[in-house]
Amino acid sequence: MPERIRHAPLDKDKVRLVEAEIHLLKDECKGCSYCIEFCPRKVLEESEEINARGVHPPKIVDESKCMMCGFCTDVCPDFAIFVVEKKGKGGS
Amino acid sequence: MTEDKESQSKEDDIRIGVYVCHCGLNIAGSVDCAEVAKFAGTLPHVVLAQDNRYTCSDQGQAGIKNDIKEHRLNRVVVASCSPRLHEPTFRKACEEAGLNKYLFEMANIREHCSWVHLYDKEAGTEKAKDLVRMAAAKAALLEPAVEVEVPIIRKALVIGGGVAGIQAALDLADTGYRVFLVEKEPSIGGMMARIDKTFPTMDCSICILAPKMSDAGHHPNVELLTNSEVSEVKGYIGNFRVKVLKKPRYVLKDCSACGECVKVCPVVAPNEFDVGLAIRHAIYTPFAQAVPSTYVIDMNLCLNKDGVIVCDKCIKACERQAVKFEMKPEVAELEVGTIIVATGADVFDPSGLPHYGYGKYPNVITSLEFERLINAGGPSGGHLLRPSDKQIPKRVGFVQCVGSRSDKSGRLYCSNVCCMNTIKDSLLIKEHWPDTEIYVFYVDIRAYGKGFEDLYNRARKAGVVFVRGLPAQIVEDRKTHNVWLIGENTLQKEVYRINVDMAVLSIGLEARKDSEVIQRLLTLSRDQDGFFLEAHPKLRPVDAATGGVFFAGCAESPKDIKDSVTQASAAAARAGILMAKGKVTVEAITPITFAEKCTACGLCVKVCPYNAIILNKDLKRVEIVEAACGGCGTCAAECNFGALTQNHFTDAQITAQIDAVTEHDADRKIVAFCCNWCSYAGADFAGVSRMQYPPNVRIIRTMCSGRVAPKFVERAFARGAGAVLVTGCHLGDCHYINANYQTQKRVERLWKKMEQGGLNKERLQLLWASAAEGERFASKIREMKPMVESVKPEEIGKAKKFFEKALGGS
Repeated sequence: MPERIRHAPLDKDKVRLVEAEIHLLKDECKGCSYCIEFCPRKVLEESEEINARGVHPPKIVDESKCMMCGFCTDVCPDFAIFVVEKKGKGGS
Repeated sequence: MTEDKESQSKEDDIRIGVYVCHCGLNIAGSVDCAEVAKFAGTLPHVVLAQDNRYTCSDQGQAGIKNDIKEHRLNRVVVASCSPRLHEPTFRKACEEAGLNKYLFEMANIREHCSWVHLYDKEAGTEKAKDLVRMAAAKAALLEPAVEVEVPIIRKALVIGGGVAGIQAALDLADTGYRVFLVEKEPSIGGMMARIDKTFPTMDCSICILAPKMSDAGHHPNVELLTNSEVSEVKGYIGNFRVKVLKKPRYVLKDCSACGECVKVCPVVAPNEFDVGLAIRHAIYTPFAQAVPSTYVIDMNLCLNKDGVIVCDKCIKACERQAVKFEMKPEVAELEVGTIIVATGADVFDPSGLPHYGYGKYPNVITSLEFERLINAGGPSGGHLLRPSDKQIPKRVGFVQCVGSRSDKSGRLYCSNVCCMNTIKDSLLIKEHWPDTEIYVFYVDIRAYGKGFEDLYNRARKAGVVFVRGLPAQIVEDRKTHNVWLIGENTLQKEVYRINVDMAVLSIGLEARKDSEVIQRLLTLSRDQDGFFLEAHPKLRPVDAATGGVFFAGCAESPKDIKDSVTQASAAAARAGILMAKGKVTVEAITPITFAEKCTACGLCVKVCPYNAIILNKDLKRVEIVEAACGGCGTCAAECNFGALTQNHFTDAQITAQIDAVTEHDADRKIVAFCCNWCSYAGADFAGVSRMQYPPNVRIIRTMCSGRVAPKFVERAFARGAGAVLVTGCHLGDCHYINANYQTQKRVERLWKKMEQGGLNKERLQLLWASAAEGERFASKIREMKPMVESVKPEEIGKAKKFFEKALGGS
């Protein structure tokens, strides 16, 4: 449909979007950057810091963009990243 | 009135009858028809010339038939209206009298003469004489021709799955033809599916549409192609080869529409079907009654858009395992005999009108958003909520003609549906919440249809206040988000300032923004408002000028549901007529080759838009594939050796017309070449609209501007013509795919030649004008008049010599 959308959806408050909490185990990371490459929402990027293994671990750019698809956990060879739902939010 | 020169023309075989029509006073009002007939009698080969009131009437036709037998006429010329209107009528009459229909010729002295020179009878009569002279000159050289019959594929394509497309598809399918219904969106239903109630009966829109949608979805003769777009159309009437791009749904037909996938999909976006007033997920169905009911994944939104399945929530949720991310776009190749264009219309976007504050103030909404809000299946469950605080408004104002009948919005036409839609909407509010105060601000209320006036009266009785005069401005109260409508009540001549909780802009309809795509694929024309142009506004209202193509619904002009359905059934009937016959004759306007002159240079092969010419190198000649030929004549214009010409538009015939124009006073005349589909129709349109322009132009009709060979232009100048005007369809709009690009090349070459020869190249003009651009044609002639008058005799003489030499040399 070609109409331009000019009003916010009336039910936007009813949809509870997931709120993710991303946990990075920075020192486990070996810097393969799979999580950065494959994140569909581009939530992660390479950081400046150097970890115990001497590589740049990822850092979180915008946690609110995360949809909790969990693909980063799936592809991480070193079990260095996982995502959980934020506690104390929503609830219904 | 009758003048017979029986004795005089015994020596030659050609016997022309000329009939000059008065058309009541349409022609006779500004042309002395008796004098034109008398003049026609003096022309070579003319054995009979008469004038009569209505040549197209039964008596008029009977007269022609009788004369063909009695006076042994073997050519007939009728000087009356445009051949685009009545050529088929007279051709049929000739055929019935045993005369080959290609021995008939028309002089257009109405659209191209009397109607555009209403106040100059003398000049009009002179021009009419010239036009008859040209027609008679061509007639003398006409040859009988036999038309090739081609079979019609008994399948139809319907483009657009709104109510018009659905109706047309069902009618054709019920008749027994196979129908392909192509819809761009994931579901059929179109605009009608989004509307709450219909006027004037207040039926629930989706309740009456859904059964039809379902019928179309299940009909054994209908193949639905949703989420699909037509990407290529080749061929011609009866034999179209169409490519349809089927975009993947990523959900298989096994989907039971249970909706479990939606619950787990993490991504959301505004639902376009609800004009963004409700949320949908990346996997969704646009609305509950969608046909097909199969869900669809919006790949721009889905997390898997890069081709890696990172999120498999919907796959896991689907019991039937219907989600399939591996689906790829497919191209369906269809062969159909007829095409119905039912692509619908867009709605006007009022954000371009800042004084109404749409997009800025939350409580200013469009009538389409209103439809979704009042709809029980819509985002608010049928509770009319205003966007700012989700409260039911107690005072509502409707503003009419937003994007219609206005210079400001650039839409000068009436959108046909908004008045009644507003009246219906106001009654809907009154039905649910009788205490709501409703104001309708209007210019005129157009309640023209069956039952419309009744509904209007009901609204007034229900207490809806109608105020004549649109608001000049809408201003928001920042605290309450109510809006003030300020304007002049033109009935009471006083300024009003009315505060409402919500204002509804009654937006008009406009042509689809992507109409151009379909226009090019099917070589259609559009009117000045952007809607598709019908072959004749009164007598062929659903036919396109392109054979085998028909219109239904808002694609042709804004109309309500009833009119769309009526037109859809009409289009289906028209398409059905063709398919029932099973065969169609193709006009005998294909090229003729003279093998002995052909050098096998291959130039014609290159310019043919249809690849209908094959170069036979062994035999050193070209061969024409007649069934593939579109009949533009571009090949004939390209041939330098006279080895090709076009049936019914031969070099000799066109040259005879040029010579007839330039027989006397050539230096004051413009020789114009017009293509049948755009510029000739545009000149007709100028006539129908009575646009006045100088009478010094003489139009020669070709099928395409691509037929205009440089030697025709050279001939006109060599004969001392004041100016030459070559006209055609706009580049890209050519009825023959791209033949008019050849026209452009040739004219540019001629300009260069004229410059090199030291001639004033302004005397050769090129104009692109569509069938709807009568004014463009008329103003070109007006613009050229002073130029033609200022051309000095020496210049004429110089050009004469220059081009005589050029023609002699080739």
